[in-house]
Amino acid sequence: MTILEVRNLTKRYGEQVAVKDLSFALEEGTATALIGPNGAGKTTTLSMLAGLLRATSGSINWHRESGVGFLPQHPHFFPWMTALEFMEMAAKLSGVHSKNALSQSKKTLEFVGLGSVQNKKTGTFSGGMKQRLGLAQAIVHEPKLLLLDEPVSALDPTGRREIMDLLKSLQPHTTVLYSTHILNDAEQMTDQLLFMQHGKLVEHGSLGEVKERYAEPRIRIRFQTARQAAAFAGQVSWPADLDGSAVELAIEEEGDTAMKKVLAKLADTSEGVIGVEQKTATLEEIFIKVAGGK
Amino acid sequence: MNQFGVLFRKEWRENLRNYKIFWIPIVFILFGILEPVTNYFLPQLLDSLGNLPEGAVIELPVPQPEEILQAVLGQYQLIGMAILILAYMGSIAGERKSGTATLLYVRPLSFRDYFLSKWLMAGITGVMSVWLGLLAAYYYIFLLFEQVEIISFLQFAGTYSVWILLVITIVLAASAAMPNAGMAAAVSLALVFFMQIADSLLGAYWTFSPMKIPAYAAQWLYGKPDMSDYWWTLALAIAFILALLFFGIWMAKRKASTAKV
Repeated sequence: MTILEVRNLTKRYGEQVAVKDLSFALEEGTATALIGPNGAGKTTTLSMLAGLLRATSGSINWHRESGVGFLPQHPHFFPWMTALEFMEMAAKLSGVHSKNALSQSKKTLEFVGLGSVQNKKTGTFSGGMKQRLGLAQAIVHEPKLLLLDEPVSALDPTGRREIMDLLKSLQPHTTVLYSTHILNDAEQMTDQLLFMQHGKLVEHGSLGEVKERYAEPRIRIRFQTARQAAAFAGQVSWPADLDGSAVELAIEEEGDTAMKKVLAKLADTSEGVIGVEQKTATLEEIFIKVAGGK
Repeated sequence: MNQFGVLFRKEWRENLRNYKIFWIPIVFILFGILEPVTNYFLPQLLDSLGNLPEGAVIELPVPQPEEILQAVLGQYQLIGMAILILAYMGSIAGERKSGTATLLYVRPLSFRDYFLSKWLMAGITGVMSVWLGLLAAYYYIFLLFEQVEIISFLQFAGTYSVWILLVITIVLAASAAMPNAGMAAAVSLALVFFMQIADSLLGAYWTFSPMKIPAYAAQWLYGKPDMSDYWWTLALAIAFILALLFFGIWMAKRKASTAKV
């Protein structure tokens, strides 16, 4: 079931176009990563979806009563308020019944790991704690749709892993759309990939689909030394690229067949082979390719 | 869901924890006490500091208690108004600028309740401060001079309260409409002071305008203002307040998208 559908979404600031003709849909219970270089229009898109910005044109269709949670890239809290006070206010303003607001707030703070500091003022919180509180205020009313702007970019690797695990545990009850430039994280939790550049959607699909589209029939062979690699590259008839002590072969054939041929060639000629692999593009490589205009 | 209650509680806590609810009344009380006390000690002050020639005799008329109360009002009209405007200039513009508003605006927020909760809190602080200040002045005038008739005093302070609410409404509406706290303060100060000056220069041509409230409030001390002009002035002030409330709510909603994300 489609929970959110965006059609021809456009945001203009005078002459400048921040988001142009953006169309996509989110299926219920899925996680979608919104990636793209700085200034691609990711934050503007999320702000429009969250209802903070009005679109210049286009439409956003979703069931508003199912609720939305939003975590801005840098959440700002009232420094004089305690975490629990803020959560209770957020819950009530989001429509949680006042009878349940306090217990719901406490439960959510426990969930994000802030249970022990719930009565501390948010002005004393570190960046990581604010990010957790930001997540907590976004999910306290159990929204069906969760919009997160760079939820883990400000965190250290441990914090990133913990937040990503928390987000995963919200599925499949919650549909998540998040922007990120930490592609490693995106690869771990994404059913759909939206790639934006200059305000436009330049690439989208499931992670598998996108990877397939950018996969190149390349086989990478690693040698012990660069000299051995160079010697091998000189012997083969396929187009070969030297990369330090490795050789990359671009073979215009079915992966299996190509691999067999390479292994056969290696068997009778070469020395010092450490590894042979069929290359698949990482998200980072795809990112650079798409961002660089292919 | 009662959003007004939730938001008012937030405003209450904020005013309590940033001490506005304490220091604003204290300033008004200080000015309220200072006026009768300096008047009382003025002869001695002149004597010890005045550097007058030997044998000079100064005869100062003893001020009427009503005049001292009116002088307190004069202080409030300058310093008091500036303090209220500076204290509440950032109510909305500041929240947008700092980004704290974003986490409120992203919810199904009633901007009416949002604006009115701030208005009520600032209104309570402002009116309470003025009453406490005037009561302190009243008490010290009673101690050092004579008692002002209590009914006159209540009419005086009650009338002036309408003016305070008007000023509070102006600064909150400006805070909703302007991009930052500084501009909200500039617009409010300009409105309050320049319009008062305009009224005092050209006000002879009309007999009722909200700017005349402080003058009519003071007239209660000596008798009573022309009642027709008085009621028209109050009615006009309330109409202004209502119009500014609608304008402020509308601007708070309209400018919500300028909050820092």
